[in-house]
Amino acid sequence: MSKTFNIKIDGKECVALQGETVLQVARREGIEIPTLCDDKRLDPAGACRACLVEIDGQRRLQPSCAWKAADGQDVKTHKVSERVQRHQDVLVSLYMADHKLDCEGLPIETGNGNDLRAWAKDCSTLQLEPVNAPRVARPGDVNPYIEFDPELCVLCARCTRYCDEIEAVNAITLTGRGSETTIGTAGMRGLLDTSCELCGGCIDTCPTGALIEKKAEKTLPHEVEKVRTTCNYCGVGCQMDLNVKDNEVVRVTSPEPGTTVNDGNLCIKGRFAYDFIHHKDRFTEPMIRGEDGELHPTTWEKAIAFAAEGMKKVAQRHGPEAIGFVSSSRCTGEENYLMQKIARAAFKTGNVHQCAAT
Amino acid sequence: MLKKTADRERVLPLLEELGGVTEENVKRVHELTGVPEADIWGSGTFYHLLKGGPGIRVCNGLSCRIMGSDQLAADLKAKGKEVEEVSCLGQCDRAPAALDESMKVFDAAKQKRSITPDDPRLPLNLGGEQNFEYAALKKARELGRDGILKQIEASGLQGRGGAGFPAHIKWKGVSSQPDPVRYVVCNADEAEPATFKDRETMLRRSDKMIEGMAIAALVVGAKDIYFYIRGEFNAEAEAVQAALKRAGDHVKDWNWHFHRGHGAYICGEETALLESMEGKRGMPRLKPPFPHEFGFRGKPTLVSNVETFACVPYIINEGGEKFKAWGKTEAGSKLYCISGHIHNPGVYELPLGATLEELVQAAGGYMGNPMAFSPGGASSGFLPIDKRNEPLDFKGLQKAGTMLGSAGVVVLNDTVDMARAAQWQLEFFEDESCGQCAPCRIGSRYLHNQVTKYLETGDPAALKHANDVGWEMEEGSICGLGMVAHKPLVDSMKYFPQAFEKR
Ligand SMILES: Cc1cc2nc3c(=O)[nH]c(=O)nc-3n(C[C@H](O)[C@H](O)[C@H](O)COP(=O)(O)O)c2cc1C
Ligand code: SF4
Ligand code: SF4
Ligand code: SF4
Ligand code: FES
Repeated sequence: MSKTFNIKIDGKECVALQGETVLQVARREGIEIPTLCDDKRLDPAGACRACLVEIDGQRRLQPSCAWKAADGQDVKTHKVSERVQRHQDVLVSLYMADHKLDCEGLPIETGNGNDLRAWAKDCSTLQLEPVNAPRVARPGDVNPYIEFDPELCVLCARCTRYCDEIEAVNAITLTGRGSETTIGTAGMRGLLDTSCELCGGCIDTCPTGALIEKKAEKTLPHEVEKVRTTCNYCGVGCQMDLNVKDNEVVRVTSPEPGTTVNDGNLCIKGRFAYDFIHHKDRFTEPMIRGEDGELHPTTWEKAIAFAAEGMKKVAQRHGPEAIGFVSSSRCTGEENYLMQKIARAAFKTGNVHQCAAT
Repeated sequence: MLKKTADRERVLPLLEELGGVTEENVKRVHELTGVPEADIWGSGTFYHLLKGGPGIRVCNGLSCRIMGSDQLAADLKAKGKEVEEVSCLGQCDRAPAALDESMKVFDAAKQKRSITPDDPRLPLNLGGEQNFEYAALKKARELGRDGILKQIEASGLQGRGGAGFPAHIKWKGVSSQPDPVRYVVCNADEAEPATFKDRETMLRRSDKMIEGMAIAALVVGAKDIYFYIRGEFNAEAEAVQAALKRAGDHVKDWNWHFHRGHGAYICGEETALLESMEGKRGMPRLKPPFPHEFGFRGKPTLVSNVETFACVPYIINEGGEKFKAWGKTEAGSKLYCISGHIHNPGVYELPLGATLEELVQAAGGYMGNPMAFSPGGASSGFLPIDKRNEPLDFKGLQKAGTMLGSAGVVVLNDTVDMARAAQWQLEFFEDESCGQCAPCRIGSRYLHNQVTKYLETGDPAALKHANDVGWEMEEGSICGLGMVAHKPLVDSMKYFPQAFEKR
């Protein structure tokens, strides 16, 4: 078991585990510290400076997301430290001078939310003139899913670090320097012309909605109800949240990292391929192709009986080896088990395969 | 995340060899190294010198501006030349300075530059002949690790790169790490505006610097020694290489490696420098961990300045106490660079703690009526001339809210508009910010915009929030660049309020 010790945050005694950061301890204790660049799946970058706290004995404010808790440490957050609060007030003001604002003067919110907006509401901000930083997007990027708006980007580098550290795809990068820094690709090409796998994890980790799903730009996070389900595109069993508005799935998001097997990740299919749900061509009931060559609605009993009849006929006429079974990668383990049981027990054939097996 | 870095380290040299960042070159480097294309693109676009060859580079540093670099640029353009304005070239004693297409200094100097004349008693003695007997190295081998450290400690040597950190603590720190692989890195990226002492040291006394590095490598137990030399310093890199050849067998115990800068001031910051050596964007790392525990390739690394290393042979030969005795308010002699409104800009070796007045005396006196000065490069902001009798040292200047830094002193006379001077310095910081953290990235652009607006409109309202923003840059930035970038403006507003009134 790892060593535990006590640290003090805003006067409160908190238990910390060896190796934990101050932010981790604070979160467990319900002490809120704002963050932008922190994603628990990634190595701390300490770049957004939102989470700075006062640490006894340190001359400078330190990023709680990266600072290791140590026995007896005395930490002060913005709740008790005027210095930290002033730091947050001016920092948020600077972010806002470099950000798209709405008519109330607050950071605008897109379909992907904006953590800066909530934080700005908690601070007494200065009205700083916009800095008009010369940051560029990739206007020619025709990929179907991912849009980048540099005017909402806080350069937390979560997207690029995610693409590197989690996906190991390295399709996107910080590019340029200073106030020109932006998110780019090699040659500023569209994502389809890079190593990008369109997993959409960069959208998911983006804290300010600078990365958004093209299909779901408009619907704001508070307008949807999230329905937890299991992705049925493959057998991994990723958990996902269907974002439902007016009885329609308008987006799919991944649950909080650390809470489900997929740790906040999804692949292109799970995250983006939800259009079939409300597609007009989707089969919604069993059908049998009649003598006329057309499909006709029927009941499950009739459809299954019809299929069984047809397969039995083949077996009778040509022998069991004439039949093969291939199950879909979308099937669960239980379904695959049943599939091989039909093959082996009912039809007495070893011709059974699963499309995800090689 | 610590990655396999071996191939990444080739990325920047290869891009340079191929002629800069283009889509084809990035593809080629990807094929040669296996590093993902996006990472190569991201690294390459960080560096000014990898943007592909411009024409003549005209310096827009403060010392060059007050000596008419704008006019020089305009004249060159009128002659049909392609001109690019660039951050301080480290040639402030040749103001207004420019580099031609092959990076040679283009002589348009308006002042007569000078240097402390040969005096063999001086610890560094830039005016003297090089000497490759390497008596100090021999003696150091006899003294051993602890004996050397004792002398370094007794000498009171503080790092000359800017922070003035005690050298013996850093050396001890590296040598006592559990990891047996350690590195020594010489920071020769000298790019702090108004600073050119490392340039002169490399050109004139590489013998001392190399000997000092070898002694440091003995102490910390390094086999591999690296130079990181500013990209524009071609003659200097050649001088170092020539000296290394002359040092010959004395230094054959070590592998000597050369890295070149690629046009980014921030890479003088030690952790940005290490990132750059590893082929990445020159963005400073969070500290801790410091390079002495987690440095180049994650190994314990001693990063030190050219001048710091060059002080070491004297300390070993003559004893730490004798070096220390050279100082006035702090230990040792110090190379001061001076430029701006004085007669003989150059590098002068004076006791550490000399005053501006003494330095200007060595440099041929003031031009015109002095009004303000920068004690240590753009990073030190400005002080009013009535501080001319304060010692120029690390601790005293820090107490006064500024710093000695790289000892790049610039004198401004009363023909200079302080608001304009502040704007020039902020342009530098905006251009050179790595962009990693918001206080610096947004703050330096904000202040630059606002002082420009003030100069255009004459309305002080533009500067209403300058103090708050400056305060936050100092409190919230990751590294030393952002922490001081507000100073030229905020300090000028404090010391020269009349320059910021309604006009
Ligand atoms: C923005 C910035 C630029 C710097 N540039 C240089 C430089 O050009 N040369 C240098 O030696 N140190 C530079 N430093 C200081 C280095 O980070 C480091 O402290 C120094 O190289 C250590 O050497 P020393 O102990 O010999 O002083 C810079 C620091 C900052 C924050
Ligand atoms: S979609 Fe996935 S692979 Fe593509 S850039 Fe984003 S994180 Fe990288
Ligand atoms: S796009 Fe989003 S995740 Fe990426 S750097 Fe910008 S704000 Fe951060
Ligand atoms: S302070 Fe400036 S230069 Fe330093 S890390 Fe931050 S953005 Fe980069
Ligand atoms: S969350 Fe700590 S610096 Fe961004």
